[in-house]
Amino acid sequence: MSAVFDAVMLLLLIATAVTVARARDLVAAVVTFGLYSLVLCLVWQHRGAPDVAITEAAVGAGVTSVLFLLTIAKTARSERR
Amino acid sequence: MIAGAVLEIAAVALVVLGVAFLLAGTIGLVRFPDVYARAHAASKCDSVGAGSVLLGVALHDGVAFGDLKLVLLALLVVVSGPTTAHALARAALRSGRRPSTRDPAGPA
Amino acid sequence: MKTFALVLVLVVAATMVIGIAGLPPHGDPDGPIHTHVGARYLERGVAETGVRNLVTAVLLVYRGFDTFLEVVVIFTALVAVLALPSATRRPPPARGESTAAPRRGSDDAVPVSPVVFFVVRLLAPFIAVFALASLYRGHVTPGGGFQSAAIIGAMMIALGLVFGREHAARLVPHGAKAWLQALGPLAFAIIAFVGWRLTGAFLGFPADEAAHALREAMVVVLEVAIAVGGAVILAQLFMALDAPS
Repeated sequence: MSAVFDAVMLLLLIATAVTVARARDLVAAVVTFGLYSLVLCLVWQHRGAPDVAITEAAVGAGVTSVLFLLTIAKTARSERR
Repeated sequence: MIAGAVLEIAAVALVVLGVAFLLAGTIGLVRFPDVYARAHAASKCDSVGAGSVLLGVALHDGVAFGDLKLVLLALLVVVSGPTTAHALARAALRSGRRPSTRDPAGPA
Repeated sequence: MKTFALVLVLVVAATMVIGIAGLPPHGDPDGPIHTHVGARYLERGVAETGVRNLVTAVLLVYRGFDTFLEVVVIFTALVAVLALPSATRRPPPARGESTAAPRRGSDDAVPVSPVVFFVVRLLAPFIAVFALASLYRGHVTPGGGFQSAAIIGAMMIALGLVFGREHAARLVPHGAKAWLQALGPLAFAIIAFVGWRLTGAFLGFPADEAAHALREAMVVVLEVAIAVGGAVILAQLFMALDAPS
């Protein structure tokens, strides 16, 4: 059960990471990156590292997303082709 | 004994209800036509879905003092989810998005 | 170019896989992480540092230099953002409308939704209590300075969103702003020199039993400084990036 959970989470991590790298729309990339952080937070918690999980949720999924979105609002939303 | 069984059934029922709402909300998020309908679907996920899953987990294995945390979490989710949906829909309206009003019966 | 990138990715990936193959099995009791310093931290960490949460003990006492430089990195990020010309340029303040209903910043005239305003005001005290609890109990349970900093910073950002930047800026006293932003590195530097004076080692912690209270005080100072300094830096980063340009 635990191994299944780990496997699903790691596959989700890979999927979200690839999605972030491939996204042309930077807002979509930021939102997916928040999802990546959230999944990673679950992995940390599951591996018995709640300290890291709290930080990952607050900084990775929360504050970083806000700062990224502000940066996009100040620059360009779409990656130059 | 009976009370424990009733509690357990209630817990499972709440979790099943929550998961059903999460599933419906996720399908809605993908399938609905515009931002308003999607926000509507997604907020169901948050408030009813996550809320009743949390309450179900709190009832599971008997009620203890620590379950208060789960109740507080459910309250937080019930308060913050609709607020997010409201803010999202309001921002969309302010930025000029018109709700999709296509008649499902007639031609597009 | 694409082929080159693909080859590069494959080479790096192969190197990593080979490296991972050389690691000891997960949970191996004879692995290096269990036979060198790790065992000592686990066996004597609580007695040596007086910090019951070993993560905090390692973070602040055993691996203090790491954490010192981490704090410096966060501070440097703020300095870099503030150095951007668009982050510090401010429009002339509009007189006469600052006392009106709460407005989001000064760049647009969209009033804050009363629902969001109410909910943020409702939740802010709870967020603050959670942050303080995570700081206060950081040496016993999961949590600590960095976590607390992120939570307080997020609360300040949420308050800044609904009350407008002028009101939110008052959370941080103007004269103390620069000092608070640099609080983390400053506190680490001061504690490092205190440790130097006491033990002869930069960022050293007195190890003898009699200095227990002093050691604990040093850890608490570092935790509080990381929390407050980090929160101010996060909020300031947000304010700087959110400034109308």
